[in-house]
Amino acid sequence: MDFSFTEEQKKRREEFYRVCAQLEKDKPHGFSGLESTYDTEAGFNYHLHCAREFAKRGWLSLSWPTEYGGTGNMMDRVLFAEARGYHDIPGVDVFGVQMLAPTLLACASEEIKREFLPMIASGEVQWCELWSEPNAGSDLADLASTAIRDGNDFIVNGQKIWTTGAHFAHWGFGVFKTAPQGKKHHNMSFILFDMKKPGVTIRPIKYMNDFHIYNEVFFDNLRVPAKIVGQENEGWAVVNVLAGFERSGIDEIMRMQRELENAVKYCNETKVDGIPLAKNPLVRNRLAQIAGEIEAARCLAYRVADLQNHNEMTLMDASAVKVFTSDVAERFASLMTDMLGPYGQVKLSRWAPMEGWWERMYQEHFVLSISMGTNEIQKNIMAWYGLSLPRMR
Amino acid sequence: MDLKLTEEQEMLKTSVKDFIAAECPKSKVREMQEDRVGHSPELWKKMAALGWMGLLIPEKYEGMGLSFQDGMVVMEEMGRNILPGPFMSTFVATFAIVEAGSEAQKKEFLPKIARGEMKLSLADMEPNGKFGAGGVTLKAAPKGDGFVLNGAKMFVEMANVADYLVCPARTKEGANSEEGISLFLVDMKSPGILCEVVPTIAMDKLCEVKFENVSILHQALLGEKDRGGVALKNTLRKAALARCADSIGGMQACIDMTVAYMKERVQYERPIGAFQAIQHIVADTWIAMQTARYLAYEAIWLESGGQPADKEASMSKAYVNNAYKLVSKWGIRLHGGIGTSREHDVSLYYLRAKAADTAYGGADYHNELVADKIGLVK
Repeated sequence: MDFSFTEEQKKRREEFYRVCAQLEKDKPHGFSGLESTYDTEAGFNYHLHCAREFAKRGWLSLSWPTEYGGTGNMMDRVLFAEARGYHDIPGVDVFGVQMLAPTLLACASEEIKREFLPMIASGEVQWCELWSEPNAGSDLADLASTAIRDGNDFIVNGQKIWTTGAHFAHWGFGVFKTAPQGKKHHNMSFILFDMKKPGVTIRPIKYMNDFHIYNEVFFDNLRVPAKIVGQENEGWAVVNVLAGFERSGIDEIMRMQRELENAVKYCNETKVDGIPLAKNPLVRNRLAQIAGEIEAARCLAYRVADLQNHNEMTLMDASAVKVFTSDVAERFASLMTDMLGPYGQVKLSRWAPMEGWWERMYQEHFVLSISMGTNEIQKNIMAWYGLSLPRMR
Repeated sequence: MDLKLTEEQEMLKTSVKDFIAAECPKSKVREMQEDRVGHSPELWKKMAALGWMGLLIPEKYEGMGLSFQDGMVVMEEMGRNILPGPFMSTFVATFAIVEAGSEAQKKEFLPKIARGEMKLSLADMEPNGKFGAGGVTLKAAPKGDGFVLNGAKMFVEMANVADYLVCPARTKEGANSEEGISLFLVDMKSPGILCEVVPTIAMDKLCEVKFENVSILHQALLGEKDRGGVALKNTLRKAALARCADSIGGMQACIDMTVAYMKERVQYERPIGAFQAIQHIVADTWIAMQTARYLAYEAIWLESGGQPADKEASMSKAYVNNAYKLVSKWGIRLHGGIGTSREHDVSLYYLRAKAADTAYGGADYHNELVADKIGLVK
C-alpha cells in the first residue's frame, strides 16, 4: 500500500498547481465553481480563457491513449483535477472533456472519435448533456423524446430539462428514443448534434439564488446528421459507460480543502467578544471534524483512481465518494453559515464575510447531491450491484 | 501510488484470518470475555509459534522485522474476529521498548516478547480519565539508586496477566504536560502493586493498578529521565493506529454479517434486504467503513514510511471511533431483536466499538489535536 507519487508525478503536479495559481489571478470577482461558469458572459469567457490555456498544454486530453494525443495515464488527470479544484478554476468542460471524451474512447467508432476528440481537446467547443426529461429523472430509461431516422439524418422532437449550460453550448450529446416501439433499454440511441440549429429552443430555469445554470430545451423537428455513439438503439449501454466517468470528485474535495484553509484564516483573524473564533472550542471541534472528513474523502478518491489504474470495478467506491463528498459539502456549508451567525445569510456585498461565499455554498451543495445520479440512486446502485441485495420491483 | 496489499501482505492476512477462524471462534471469544482472567495460554502459545508476538520486532532480537503496515494488516484481521487477550496490549507496549529501550533492555525484553514468554501492557491512563501526556500524574520519586512509585493507573488493558507494564510517570513538573515524564518498565511482581480488573462494557479486562511505595531500579528507566514524553506520544500514535486497524476489521465483519442476514431474513414475502429503507442504511454503513479505512490507511502508510503524521493519525482515530460505533449500531438495528442478544455475534462488535472509542483517545480529544494541526490558533 503506497500513497506516494513518483518524482515525475510530483513535477507534473507542481506544474498543474503553478498554472492554476496563475489563472486564479484573472478570476472575475465573486466567481466560484462550476455554477459561475454559466451564470454570466464574463464567467463563461473566463472558462473559455482557462480552457485555451489548458488546451495549448494538452491538458484537456491528458489521460487519453497516446494515439489520440494523451499521456495514457489516469493519475495525471487526477493530479490536474486536484490543482484545478484547489484553485477553483474552470476550463475543463465537465460534459465534453470529463464525460464525453472517455465515453467516445470506450464506445465510439473510429470515424466519430476522429471527428470529435480533436474538437474536445481544442477547448473551443462547449458541450451540454441532454439527459433528464420532465417525466424521466432518476428513471432515465423512461424518456419520451425521439430522434427518428430519415435517411442519413435524425428528426428530433421532445423536451429535455435540467440541462446545465445549454445556453452556451455549441454541441449536445444525449439519449433519444430511436425505436419508440422497441423494448425498454433497447429503444434509444446516444447521439451527438449541433445545438445552434433551428428547431432548438432554450428556456432558462433559474436556481434558487437566481443564477442561470439550468435550462429546459425543446426540440421541434430539428433535423441533424445521424451521429451515433455505440450501436443504434443500444444507447442505454453507452449511458452506463458514461455514468462511470461522471465526476471523480477530487476537484470538489480539493476545493473544500482550500475552503478549509480560508475558514481557518478567517477564524484566526475574526474576534467575537474580543476572542478569536479559533479559540472557541465548538468551532475547533467542528472544523477539525470537517478537516478529517475532507481528508477521508480525498483518500477514498485516490482509491477510485487506483482502481481505475488497475482497470478494476470502481462502482462501490466511486458512488461512495460521490455521496460522501456531497454530504461533507452540505455539513461544511451548514457549519460555516451557523458560525457566521446573521452574517451567514449575506450575499456578496460590503457586509458579507468571506465575500458571501458561504451564502452561496449553502445553496449550491445541492448540485453535488442531486446531479449525476442522486445520492439515493447511488445508494440503490451500491446495494443492488455492489452488495447484491435484491432489487425491489 | 498503489493502494493494493502486496502479495506477502495478502498471504499474511489470509493466514491470520484462517488461524483465528479455526482457533478462536466466537464461542471462545465469549468464554474469554466471561472468564475472570480473559487469557488463554494455549491460544497464546499457538500464536507465538507463528511468530506474531514478534511481528514488528527487529530480526536481531528474534522478531520477524516486518513493517508497521504489515502489522496493521494483522491487526485488522484480529479486529475482524474480535481476538481477546493480551495481544493488542503487548503489541502496543512493545513499540515503546523498540523506540526508547537501551541495547541491554532490548536484548533482555524483545526476544522474550517475540517468543511469547512475556506479556506487556501500556499504562497510559490514570483515574483522572484524561488522554495523552496531560493525564500522567503518577509520581516517581528518586530513592537510592532507583525510584519509588506512588499513585495509580487506570484502564490498563490486560494488566492482570501482564508481566511488565510500560508505565509513564512524572519525575519532574514541566512547563507543558509532555515535559518531565519518564517511562518505566515495571515488573508486575514488584511488592506494593495491587491490580484489579474493572468491569467494562467489552469485558476486555481493563485494570486498575495501584502503586504503594513500589521500589524500582534505575535499570527500569526506559529512555532518558524526564524526556519520555516524546516516546509516549509516538507510542500512543502507533497504538491509536493499531486500534483503527482493529476497528476497520470489525466494521467489515459487521457489514458482511448484516448484508448476509438481509438476504436471508424474509418478511412480507421477500428478503428484508429488498426494502430500500434498509438498502440505504447498508450503503451508508459501507461508506462510513470505506472512508474510515482509506483515511486510516494513509496515516498507516505515513507511519510505516517513517514520516509519522500526528494530524492524519488523529484524524483517523477520531473518524474511525465514530464510524465503528455507527456501523455496529446499525448492525444491531438491522438484525432486529436477535441482534441485541448475547448469543448473536453482532452485539460483540457494538461493545468492542465502545471500548475502541476510548482506547488511546476519544474523538473530541483527537479532534482538538487536529484543530491545532490545521492551524487554528490556541
